[in-house]
Amino acid sequence: MSSIVILLSPFWLAWKNDFLRSGQRWRPRWLLLALAIAFWSGIYYVVRRVLLYFQSVYDLGPSLAYQLLLIILLTFLSMLLFSNLITALSNFFLARDLDLLLSTPVSAGSFYYSRVITTILNSSWMVLFFSLPIFAAYGTVFGSGISFYLWVAVVLPLFLIIPASVGVLVTHLLVYCLPVKRIRDILFFIGLFSFMVIYFLFRFAQPERLVQPESFGHFLQFLAAMETPASPLLPSSWSAEVLAAPLFKRPTDQGFFYALLASYALFLPLVTSWVSGAIYLTGWSKAQESKQGRRKYEIVESALDWLTCPFPPVLRALIVKDIKTFLRDSTQWSQLFLLIALIIVYLYNFKVLPLDRSPMPTATLKAVVSFANLALAGFVLSAVAVRFAFPAVSLEGKAFWILQTAPISLRTLLWSKLWLNLIPLLILGELLVFLSNLLLQVPSWMMMLSLATVLLMTFGITAICVGVGALYPKFTFDHAAEIPTSFGGAVCMIVSIAFIGAAVLIEAWPIYFLAMRGLNRGGSTVPELWVLAPSLLGVLALTLAAVITPIRLGLKSLERLKD
Amino acid sequence: MIKLVNLTKHYDGLAAVDSLNLEVQPGEIFGFLGPNGAGKTTTIRVMMGILKPTSGQVFLGGYDVERQPEEAKAISGFIPDRPFIYEKLSGLEFLQFVGKLHRVESVRLARRILELLERFELARWKDELVESYSHGMKQRLVVCASLIHQPRILVVDEPMVGMDPKGARKMKDLFRSLSDAGTTVFLSTHSIGVAEEVCHRIGIIQRGRLIACGTMADLYAQAQTKQGNLESVFLELTQDNSDDGG
Repeated sequence: MSSIVILLSPFWLAWKNDFLRSGQRWRPRWLLLALAIAFWSGIYYVVRRVLLYFQSVYDLGPSLAYQLLLIILLTFLSMLLFSNLITALSNFFLARDLDLLLSTPVSAGSFYYSRVITTILNSSWMVLFFSLPIFAAYGTVFGSGISFYLWVAVVLPLFLIIPASVGVLVTHLLVYCLPVKRIRDILFFIGLFSFMVIYFLFRFAQPERLVQPESFGHFLQFLAAMETPASPLLPSSWSAEVLAAPLFKRPTDQGFFYALLASYALFLPLVTSWVSGAIYLTGWSKAQESKQGRRKYEIVESALDWLTCPFPPVLRALIVKDIKTFLRDSTQWSQLFLLIALIIVYLYNFKVLPLDRSPMPTATLKAVVSFANLALAGFVLSAVAVRFAFPAVSLEGKAFWILQTAPISLRTLLWSKLWLNLIPLLILGELLVFLSNLLLQVPSWMMMLSLATVLLMTFGITAICVGVGALYPKFTFDHAAEIPTSFGGAVCMIVSIAFIGAAVLIEAWPIYFLAMRGLNRGGSTVPELWVLAPSLLGVLALTLAAVITPIRLGLKSLERLKD
Repeated sequence: MIKLVNLTKHYDGLAAVDSLNLEVQPGEIFGFLGPNGAGKTTTIRVMMGILKPTSGQVFLGGYDVERQPEEAKAISGFIPDRPFIYEKLSGLEFLQFVGKLHRVESVRLARRILELLERFELARWKDELVESYSHGMKQRLVVCASLIHQPRILVVDEPMVGMDPKGARKMKDLFRSLSDAGTTVFLSTHSIGVAEEVCHRIGIIQRGRLIACGTMADLYAQAQTKQGNLESVFLELTQDNSDDGG
């Protein structure tokens, strides 16, 4: 036990030292705390509003809230599975301290448990961060008292341990079993596996059932279906069952489900520890062998040359270097799998939307949904940008001296990072909005408005991420996936979501105006220029501020590194 | 070619470099000697524009590093003590990258890279990723990168760390040949042997202050000793303040 504590000590000592010796950095921390509280309050408020609305639906309220809880927990489970796979691979096979640790007389068991704990903490904090206000909203809306929160406190740790153990186990088996001794191939399989898991988990949830009561034939049958999980074999469903008892005061087999959850949470780490004890060192050796060598891809080289030819030579050199290091660092590009899964699930949502069954005029509803889609696309873009654009400066790492001593300005460096990230993000954003609008069959003016807004939002989001990334650079890291989970990563996420919120609010007025006109008069929802132009100009002004301010602050911060 | 004027750098009120004044002539190999924590690396980082001075100025080839950083860096090469470089680039790609940052014209760059790779015995490994290089190979690659644009000034921090005797010999030969060709070499080291062997002049820094500077003969005079070697001079001059700093 003591050696586990010792092995974990660098983790918490680093955290403690960073926290206590922050010097002048207290002010941004208070700011972050304030932002976090505002963010939590926002989530709490939204979930509470949704739950209160559900409650107003006669008899169906608890069932709808239960289904929402299932979907939330299932989403968390899929996020945790993916995140744990990546984190376990980093912690067990790629971390820079492994050489040091494995050369010390530490038992395999202590090493394993210390790494599992680190994996759980690294991969689960985001879920914890988001889940707390959600559970708080459930507790207050359904007046379930202290017992619900106590159940949350005992269910959540078990809920986090299970996907972590599965992630560690799968990573071990993949590294051990794959004949191909290359980390990039292993990650390819991990990505593929995660993608399938996320896809199937999503399909298991069958979210479209919620809006298709007629498919159940009879109301009682529908109600019964609404009160049972669609996939009873998943830990998310067991957790929902345990929490449903104090929440909705309904008789569930709470003890049984808790025992099920606890037994898996205890059993899986144990099995994984046996497997790890048996195969870890062989797998680790293979992972070392795989670091050697490289295949040269002429096509990639030519494509890079062609793609970057519009840029001036220095900017081009920086961009080519960044693309190459990205493509060759499997811990970075493997995150693209998450992105692909995200896009497919995202677009699928629009495919199954039963807009034709709504009592609202279809054209009005389509405009409203398409508008809401802008906020969602912005959120997706933020999540992706925090993963890829925010670490752009930090990834220079300990090699930053090369750029510092080269005859280039820091401004050139930041702009190269901005352009490099902007182009793929812009393609992603425009594609998301274009395809979802196509599925929604929105009118052409809405398509144009959406595409223009996403163009502006992507500029803003990318600049925020690159700028805040320069404001809070993290040049020392064990693996790239750590960077977005840093203090700066959280600030970046909050600021870019605030930016999207502001942009959406500015455009909400004309959309509201059009929706009201459509509802009241049943008239045309094609807007005049005077309705759209002011808000588009507003978003343009906001975007300019969102580009200039963070880049300036980031530049100043990089200049301050010289102090 | 290199001029430090009242250069001072404070960290949290502590002077790492304290009113340093120094001038190095074109083609000169200047040894910058001092115990651990004396302020050698801080001085070099300020010289290369990585750190800002608290006060004072650095001129490289007449350019003020703070006011004309790009011009000053364009004529300088830097070899740090611990060569962290992009692990996911091949040696060749790394050199191409640095050459482009220094705006070396592409045909000349290709020729220069080949020449340097051959000279530093890295040609065989040019397409391998840097992550697979040994420490010595990485060190040699950084040397190549620092020379890619044929700098007029070469600033070197602890050049022999982790080098085998053959590598160390090659480095010393390199400094001499660069000096012969008119390049100024500013060599920070705590290896007295290296300084004694290759430097035209030596400056000894302690607690951020230059406590002695000159040719070997000047240093013997300052230490009031006529026998022994640089090691005894160094120990004599630094004996009152021999404890280590950070």
